Amino acid sequence: MTTSDWHPHARGNENPALGRDPFAEEVSIDPYLERLATLRQSEAPELRKQVESDSRPRPDWAQRTVKKPPAARSRRARTPTVGEVVIPEPSGWVDRWLGEDVRRRLETLGYMVEGETPYDRFGFSPDVARNAFPWFQALYRHYFRVRSEGHEHLPAEGAAVIAGNHAGLLPFDAAMGVLDILQHTDPPRLARAIVDRWAGSLPWINIFYARVGQVVGTRENFADLLDDEQLVMVFPEGMDGIRKTITQRYRLQHFHVGFVEQALRAQVPIIPVAFVGSDDQTPILYNVKPLAKRLGLPVAPITPTFPWLGPLGLLPYPVAYKIVYGEPLNFHQRFGPESANDSRLVRYLANQVRRSVQLLLDRNRS
Amino acid sequence: MKHVLVTHADEPLGRRIIKRLFYDANVTSIFALGDGPAPHTFDRFLSGATPRLSYARVDLAKHRPMNDLFHSTRVRDAEIDTAIFVPRHGAPASPSDPLVAGLSERTAEARLLLQQCLESQTIRNLVALGSAFVYRLPPGNANRLHEDSELDLDPDVSPEIRSWIDCDMIFHGEVHNDRLRVALLRLPTVVASGGYVYLNPFMGERAGWRVRSLGYDPICALVSDKDVARATQAAVHSTVSGIYNVAGIEVVPLSVLAGWTGRHSVSLPGVLLSALDRAARLLGREAVVPSLERLRYGFTLDTRRAEQELGFHPAHRVGLARAGDGTLRLETAGI
Repeated sequence: MTTSDWHPHARGNENPALGRDPFAEEVSIDPYLERLATLRQSEAPELRKQVESDSRPRPDWAQRTVKKPPAARSRRARTPTVGEVVIPEPSGWVDRWLGEDVRRRLETLGYMVEGETPYDRFGFSPDVARNAFPWFQALYRHYFRVRSEGHEHLPAEGAAVIAGNHAGLLPFDAAMGVLDILQHTDPPRLARAIVDRWAGSLPWINIFYARVGQVVGTRENFADLLDDEQLVMVFPEGMDGIRKTITQRYRLQHFHVGFVEQALRAQVPIIPVAFVGSDDQTPILYNVKPLAKRLGLPVAPITPTFPWLGPLGLLPYPVAYKIVYGEPLNFHQRFGPESANDSRLVRYLANQVRRSVQLLLDRNRS
Repeated sequence: MKHVLVTHADEPLGRRIIKRLFYDANVTSIFALGDGPAPHTFDRFLSGATPRLSYARVDLAKHRPMNDLFHSTRVRDAEIDTAIFVPRHGAPASPSDPLVAGLSERTAEARLLLQQCLESQTIRNLVALGSAFVYRLPPGNANRLHEDSELDLDPDVSPEIRSWIDCDMIFHGEVHNDRLRVALLRLPTVVASGGYVYLNPFMGERAGWRVRSLGYDPICALVSDKDVARATQAAVHSTVSGIYNVAGIEVVPLSVLAGWTGRHSVSLPGVLLSALDRAARLLGREAVVPSLERLRYGFTLDTRRAEQELGFHPAHRVGLARAGDGTLRLETAGI
């Protein structure tokens, strides 16, 4: 059975990409909630009586209001909508090529910065981002020919975690995702992609990543971004995603769980997203693990073009990208911030996100 | 009503804090300590029949003079209830001064002041200014750090950073003292009008050439000296103990900050910097770089705790402004 002919509702028909789901025996019942209910039944009778005799109104578990963090931290000005932005006349062929809509969106990047200096707290610089944008926009339009759908699931305001699959040695999937979100939200939103700590230690790369809005994945950074009501894009596979060989294409690797913890703590939704195409951009034939370990690199790939063509061999193939945003997973409506400390629940929810992303990939690959 | 003692009042931060407290109606008297003679800016504060400010010259790093001062009639009569530890941040009298009892001068001062506060009959509050460069920096151009983030306890850290960490730990150890309330404020790069910069180990005190690590340009969190004075004032009047990050809104890359403050920088590969540093140490000279890690990775501070518990919000902005002579320089201005 291939991944493409897998159907989620066929009992006993397991997705080969995901492996066996430990909770799949009773699909209709959430086993974790069932276990919680059992535990509640076994509570001391006196305690249960006390709880049952309490006549105070109880919050509805499913629809309870979420207490937001005490301090409103964002000092940024409200980002204007595309229609509200005033831009000068186009001054060159690049401006004309970008088009008025895109230029208006780029103009709104300045609203990300809080203070007098042209940098935000994570080193993002609107000026650098605007200068880099045309190059990536050329990749977006002409090289990767990005198509996307499901933008209605992206929130117009407020924080959210966008979790997607990751592949292709160089993180063009993240770049295309950030560009796509910027061009399909109004007011335009800059998704802050979380990058590995290793990338933060690379000379020049660390500066470029920070200036275009990417953030190193520490817990403090993640929490601060959500607290600042930003869109945070994560790739829970981490480095395992970019190490995937050609035989593992479009098969999601193990998901790290930190993003679920942070989403629960901040009480924000998780939006699954599938990047179709990134697995084909640089197919890895073999990963020379001993060499990677020796050089301190996450991967030492052999591809059809690398190392035969030198560094040029690492460049991605011009594959067509399709980005699909799934329906938000509103775990926060059922689980409070304290649930982030429950490692079993967090792992379960991370697996749910993984299944959602895999489903999106499977449905859209063809 | 508070009776406040301020150390290193003759240095820029100390002067700024004295000025802030002098105009605070809830501060009855201020006892200022300094290494040198009283600054001229204090003349108007020291004038009058019963001035609210008194100034004493003392070597804060020496046990005997400090002991004599704290047991003098002058200090006893002042009935000081709050001590503010403003660390030495200006250029030392002579860079080759020997360590005091094996400690850096700054650490010795912190230890002696704390000892005097613990032994004093009247002092119940201690507000200490420390540096935010005590944190271990994770890789990245800019990372958010909060008060619980790990300190850099690497034994190879430069002596200057080591002294800040030692001071930090000395005060941290007394945060839960029942008799003495301790509030430790961790400050990033402090900026004062006119392009002056304090507490940044890279920037130093004097203008001139600096080395940077090639391929890295860490983000520096900034805070105005006026906001430091406001945060100190808030800590003096609060009733809470603890450690608080204090920072402004603005951040800039190190290269930009160096350029704005007349400190030109040259980028060198990390390997070369390490070799130069080792050679300098072997020759008994000052370290070439404060810490290679600090030339690579930047940080910004999570100030929520200070906002919630001290009620401190930055009220000054830092940016380039055109001075009267037409030159662009770093300035601070009220929001």
